[in-house]
Amino acid sequence: MAEARAESLAAADWGGGVLPYHIGHRKLGMWLFIMSDSLTFGALLVAYSYARAASIAWPTPFPFSPSIVFSTTMTLVLLSSSLTMVFAVSASKKGKRGTARKWILATMVLGLTFIVLHLMEWNHLIGEGLSPFKLPAEWTKEGAWPGASPLFGSTFFGITGLHMFHVFTGVIYLGVVAARIKKLNDDVEVAGLYWHFVDLVWMFVFPLIYLLSVDYHGVIK
Amino acid sequence: MVEEKKEIKTLNLILLALAGVAVLVVVWNVASDTFRAGTDDLFLVLVGLMLALLFAVPALLWAKGNGLLKNPFADEPLPAEGPSEHADAHHEEHGGSNRQNVMVWGGLLALTAFEVFLAYIQINPVLMLIILMGASIIKAALIVAYFMHLKFERLSLILTIVPTIVVLLCLFAILFPDSFRLHKMRPAETIQQVEHEG
Repeated sequence: MAEARAESLAAADWGGGVLPYHIGHRKLGMWLFIMSDSLTFGALLVAYSYARAASIAWPTPFPFSPSIVFSTTMTLVLLSSSLTMVFAVSASKKGKRGTARKWILATMVLGLTFIVLHLMEWNHLIGEGLSPFKLPAEWTKEGAWPGASPLFGSTFFGITGLHMFHVFTGVIYLGVVAARIKKLNDDVEVAGLYWHFVDLVWMFVFPLIYLLSVDYHGVIK
Repeated sequence: MVEEKKEIKTLNLILLALAGVAVLVVVWNVASDTFRAGTDDLFLVLVGLMLALLFAVPALLWAKGNGLLKNPFADEPLPAEGPSEHADAHHEEHGGSNRQNVMVWGGLLALTAFEVFLAYIQINPVLMLIILMGASIIKAALIVAYFMHLKFERLSLILTIVPTIVVLLCLFAILFPDSFRLHKMRPAETIQQVEHEG
């Protein structure tokens, strides 16, 4: 009985000409892309942690208010965009394409809000004198973080920049899906996978880059 | 047919034996005098456990499929109450409802709030890192399972994606303890100089 079942499974699933995972090729391709992309972000975050742990001094320049409150708002926006994307996918599965399009547009608006908030924050830090290769002069003074590595800037802009680029391409991808929604099959779901992955990456970037860099001593005025 | 069944059994026993060997290597490494919990030791332990898991999973799945592994705590099937509960479970299987997704979203928000609260009260950074990573892994699992729908996919897809990612990310993280070594390699004068210059 059991081996008869095993045989029929093997013939049905892995014998060729069928879908062994019971998902379409688009979805499988997206999962494979997500696997490779998670390794990209994993490598960057491990490299950041390595550089930070190996440094004599590392700046922790985010005062709880306003910086952490601001980035928490960004997290809230991105999490909510994931929820609207879930609604879009579930509407498109029920065949309600108009509703799905509205939810996708809501997701795009939230994604763009995230990018705008993030760019405001970048603008503020660049104004303070932070660049990928240089720390602001005040940060390395006595009483702040003397001898701190300029790697702070490179890792900060590198990781958050790559993540922001993913959000940006995600918004464009969703725009294309929303525009062509009448001609598509499972593309809303596949786009949803990508969008949730971008959200997932932020769930690691936010604690590692922001929450572990709170300025408790009031160095940054 | 009978021969084939025997063959499958032998192959699965070989897999279990290989898993046992991997566990033995780990135990031997931990018990040996040279164990220092450095990068080399962590690598051996982690890779050994991963290999043991990878070898054991197909054999255990086969054993479960053949009814060799029975959960001793499993409830006896109750034919009287069965149908209604079963129908619910069946419904759940085909993807979460919107209500469930809103609940997952609420859970993610609650975990985020907890993380931000930890940042507010200022605790030991190492403890903080451990708690934050734990919370983030729970959040990632929630997103992958419910939002990305992986919980409702076939087991074959889950087994293709999840162990691969976990093994590869652990292999990245294996290099991490090496960063502490750089502190010891740095000449003492340099550190003093840097602290002095300010």
